[in-house]
Amino acid sequence: MNALVLIPETLVAGAAIVLLLAGRLGAVPRSRRPYLPAIVASVVLVAFILELWLGGTLASLFGGGFVQDRFALFAKAAVLLAVGTAIAAADWGAEDSLSIGLAMPLLGAFGVMVAASAGDFVGLWAGLELAAAAGVVLVGLRRPDLGLRLLVAGGVATGLLVVGFAFVYGAAGTADLLAARRVLQTAAPTLPLAIPVLLLFGGLAVRAGIAPFHLASVPAGLGATPLGAGLVVGLVAAAGLVAAIKIAAVLSPVPEVLSPWLGVVAAVAMVGGGAAALAVRAPRARLAYLAASQAGWVAAGLATHYRAGLGGSLFLLGAFALAATCGPAVMGGVEGGEASLAGMGALRPARAAGIAMAFLSLAGAPPLAGFFGEFAVAASLAQSGHLELLALGLLGSVLSLAAALGTLRVMYIQSPPEEGRRATGSALPTVTSVSAAGAVALCAVIAAYGIFGNPILGLADQGAEALGLR
Amino acid sequence: MIGATSVAAALQAASPAPAPGSGIFSSSLLLSILVWTPVVVATVIAILPNPRGRYDTLMKQIAFFTNVGLLFILWVAYNQFENFLSNVQYEEKVPWLPAIGATYHLGVDGPGMIMLILSGLVGLASVLASYGIRERVRSYFCLLLLSQACVTGAIVAHDMFVLLLFWGAATVPLALLVLGWGGPRREAAAWRLVVYWGLGTIALLLATMAMYAAAGTGSFDMDVLLKVALSPRLQLAVGAALMVAAATRLPLFPLHGWVRDVYSEAPLGVSVVVAGSASRLGAYMLLRVLVSGEPIGAQLLSPLLAGMAAITVIYAGIVVMRQTDLRHAAAHLALVPGGVTALGLAALSPLSIAGSVLSLLSGGLAAALIVGVSATLTDRAQSRSLNVLSGLASRMPNLSWLMLFGVLGLLGIPLMASYPAEAMTFFGSFRNQPVGAFAVAAGLAVVAVGIAVIVHRVLFGSPNPDAPGVSDASLGESWYLAIMAGALLWVGVFPGGPKLPGTDVPIFDPGVVNTMAAGITNIASPYVGSGR
Repeated sequence: MNALVLIPETLVAGAAIVLLLAGRLGAVPRSRRPYLPAIVASVVLVAFILELWLGGTLASLFGGGFVQDRFALFAKAAVLLAVGTAIAAADWGAEDSLSIGLAMPLLGAFGVMVAASAGDFVGLWAGLELAAAAGVVLVGLRRPDLGLRLLVAGGVATGLLVVGFAFVYGAAGTADLLAARRVLQTAAPTLPLAIPVLLLFGGLAVRAGIAPFHLASVPAGLGATPLGAGLVVGLVAAAGLVAAIKIAAVLSPVPEVLSPWLGVVAAVAMVGGGAAALAVRAPRARLAYLAASQAGWVAAGLATHYRAGLGGSLFLLGAFALAATCGPAVMGGVEGGEASLAGMGALRPARAAGIAMAFLSLAGAPPLAGFFGEFAVAASLAQSGHLELLALGLLGSVLSLAAALGTLRVMYIQSPPEEGRRATGSALPTVTSVSAAGAVALCAVIAAYGIFGNPILGLADQGAEALGLR
Repeated sequence: MIGATSVAAALQAASPAPAPGSGIFSSSLLLSILVWTPVVVATVIAILPNPRGRYDTLMKQIAFFTNVGLLFILWVAYNQFENFLSNVQYEEKVPWLPAIGATYHLGVDGPGMIMLILSGLVGLASVLASYGIRERVRSYFCLLLLSQACVTGAIVAHDMFVLLLFWGAATVPLALLVLGWGGPRREAAAWRLVVYWGLGTIALLLATMAMYAAAGTGSFDMDVLLKVALSPRLQLAVGAALMVAAATRLPLFPLHGWVRDVYSEAPLGVSVVVAGSASRLGAYMLLRVLVSGEPIGAQLLSPLLAGMAAITVIYAGIVVMRQTDLRHAAAHLALVPGGVTALGLAALSPLSIAGSVLSLLSGGLAAALIVGVSATLTDRAQSRSLNVLSGLASRMPNLSWLMLFGVLGLLGIPLMASYPAEAMTFFGSFRNQPVGAFAVAAGLAVVAVGIAVIVHRVLFGSPNPDAPGVSDASLGESWYLAIMAGALLWVGVFPGGPKLPGTDVPIFDPGVVNTMAAGITNIASPYVGSGR
């Protein structure tokens, strides 16, 4: 019975493989292709429902290498919801390849699911790499140079992670996360432990695109197709943050080593991301920086180093994954400056609403998903005495909000340019019934995330508890 | 004096006579209806098909009748309010995020009901003031309704999480309204609003989190959080942050930097909402959280608050005297009621607190009226320059009368609601904050001189032959201004409500001072018998 918890993973990975094979063999007739995104989104929706249904079962498979607990349930449900909505809302006219464009987000989601359920360092690493590889493929499809850049940056991150894992393995004598936690519980915060902590979180910060380690992920996101951008800015970052939360729980006995470093990274990310979002004008770049800033909030929750903080981070991670993955997708082929969004509120109301919700949620504007998540983290920061970090986070949020308002102003207040004068790269997204429904679903989910936040935060809190923190 | 006497009597009376029909209507969701109806209507407006603006008028009508309906519900709630009870009424309490201790807790006491009345009146006036909007009507009324919902939500919030949510959320629609429909300097105005109000939100959130962490109760519910006795040092820190939050919103000198641009550049209806109700939230929050919940912090910070109040009023008076732009002058005049309210809160006596609460209503109405009338007048006169505007009384009789109402309401002239408010504030303040009260009074004298100069020049000076042509207010403009002027006059004449002749039975208005007294006794209780 325990093996049933693998059904969502099997569905997602299977669908990705089928799509890749079908694309390679040309098995999908041209007349059927327009229906493919709706079919794949439905498959992901089924996987999401199954995850919620079956994922409540606590299970340990493959000798402890795969663990199904509340943390895994929350992370997997969040990522499936994000990917399903992104696929539905995407502008498929702006994607370079239908089969690869559909398969890579699924593989990315599968990678996050593997990382979320990982019981040891190997699974965690494998999940991260899988998600990152999917991002590289999708970015490289349109811009090989940026794909290469992402690959190199990913290689650096991997190097840091592997060395870090090796150090921790050396210190703990085991690769199993729970066992390592038990061993490290009695360890003193010494230099040999500080080194792996720094290396691990350095690697994860690069993976998550947390400012100032966003130098590869943000440009890659800008040059990629819409879904590619969503994959890099949202899903791969979510994979990094999922791994960071799990590792933070493993290293909980040594908060003195962990917290100050994470605090600095979080502060730089929150303020720097907000400031950068305000400084740039291009909507996709702005969204990427807003995401970097919110990723900083997730890291801030980890710096608190207790259950409520991790629960808040996990709750926020769900909101982050949703907005950061779906935001670029719903923006479609809008790649120019902010003028390319001018008048979108009137011309594409559903998409404009989706973009607005994604931007505002990433900026932490009330009463949307991001606000509730950031508030939960803020409460844990206050309880743990990190008021200075909280103040910096709030400053970053105000900067982010100002940036988001700038984009909203363009969409809803500026008049649309005449179609003939529309610049190259600023074509408005094509509207289909599926993409409109996806955009509306995105709005509904972002709005409902906080309003019905009780069970979601409750599940996130149970997820943090499952990691062994008190 | 009439008002002061009525309030003193109301504060002492254990059980004022309830209005006829009280207790007939009750709804456990009444406050939620007031908060969420505008949100639902805004959503409906947003998704209604409106090809080429064909249904723009319908959108305006929907917004108007929504506000009329809400005002009716509010009037019923006001009449059903049991003003002999000091506890929170129409309470709704549902766990929201139990993991962090956030509750969907709404409720109103006397001061809250006064703020709701203000918000309802200002909401209706703002929709009427916005009837001239021609561009992107759908978006405009959507955002306007959302901003009204945020203000109402912040008023009825009885949980710090809910308060923060609505307090912070108000910035988004208001900034977008200024950005989209404002005057030539709208960008600067909107960003100033975002920066100052954002700073205020940061300060309020930090104060809340500091209380939350120190209390250790794991709850944001005001009933729990504000009951915990914090150390004097922490109360001082929390109080300082709350004062920053209030000073950015009310606003008080030196955190008033958004006022001039926003009041002079925002579209008319938005100026009315901001000046009338949204900015009053600053003082209301101070009353609800600092004065009510952190008495030691309030006492320690009261000289500072009185000083800020005095500087604000004096500064406004000086700036008004030196202004050459009528809308800028009106923007600075709108600072004055906030200064008076802050003085009453700084004095921390039951009477001064009651004066502050009443001045929330009267000051909000007067500020909205003066900002609105000056905007309408400058539109109708086609000039904002005080060097051009002159002798308009004969050519714009309606607007001239309304402007006179506004300035008289601002100065606290008898028969205006601001008269009992200011009388109570000053009577309650001269003992506890003599220097502050004297300075505010002196500031009001300076303001009066500034107002006299402007009124004399603009309304009663010799007509300027070189000025552009003028026309008086339209019916809609007259109505939106008359709502506020009428409310100022009504509360000024009947602060205790009209009574059946020869009896103490109220006819249809139980009386603002009776209603507000319901919660003030509780709020002022820490300051009774402490030498204040």
